[in-house]
Amino acid sequence: MTAWQTRQHDWIGRLDSAVSEVFEMMLERNCSPAEIAEAIAPSISARILFSGAIHGECVLLASSAVAQVTAEALLGTPSDPDDPASADAIGELCNMIAGGWKSKLGSEEARCTISPPTVSAHSEGLDPKTEVGFLRFYRFEDHVFGVQMNF
Amino acid sequence: MRALIIDDSAVMRKVIERALRQSGLDLTEVLQASNGEEALEILRGDVANPAKIRLIMSDINMPVMDGLQFLEARRDQQLAVGVPVVMITTEGSEPFVLRAIAAGAQGYICKPFTAEQVKARVVPLVEAA
Repeated sequence: MTAWQTRQHDWIGRLDSAVSEVFEMMLERNCSPAEIAEAIAPSISARILFSGAIHGECVLLASSAVAQVTAEALLGTPSDPDDPASADAIGELCNMIAGGWKSKLGSEEARCTISPPTVSAHSEGLDPKTEVGFLRFYRFEDHVFGVQMNF
Repeated sequence: MRALIIDDSAVMRKVIERALRQSGLDLTEVLQASNGEEALEILRGDVANPAKIRLIMSDINMPVMDGLQFLEARRDQQLAVGVPVVMITTEGSEPFVLRAIAAGAQGYICKPFTAEQVKARVVPLVEAA
């Protein structure tokens, strides 16, 4: 295993842990990594940029259903996919996952700064076979979303 | 008592407000700002009456004016003197915590958080103020 592969393996473990913590503490739901064989079609994405000690980005890709359920879980009230709260909730979810991942890094790397989230519509399919920094899928209840980390 | 919540996410402002209400604080009104500049306008009395604000909860990563810049401006302008400020943020690394404390923050909560954590860190500060 190369140094980069070792580092990536470590970062993936920290990402899995960060996602699990965010869902457990903020949404009171279990969320775990999912093996996805088929491409999924996210409709919304949230992006956080890392700068300083680490240069890169964390992109959360989700369906409108995931955004709606996330908003409902955070707010404790019904929502709908067109509600601005759904996009807001996906941005905050990405923010907390990126921040949680960063906090689990070594002290030097954790000195990187993270940007506020930007949320936009996403029209491209997401194929698990695509080579990127790394791409992980997660499942909670019947919902799947992706987190892509590019460096 | 009144509280001021500063966060660029409306969803997160509601989540924080709910956690404060669950903590047993007698909140009569919660004022909201989406960045530090809006919060300073509230504390100066430009857009709302700042009287009886007894707690300020602030994010750090925000557009326009971030939470650390807000803390430093509030200190320099002598606004809401004696009112406890608790940072509630994804930025948990030491440089951010130290800068926040140096600028007058009295509490620090990292996202993700639980309502129990908010209660444990906020209520003693409000009671002591």
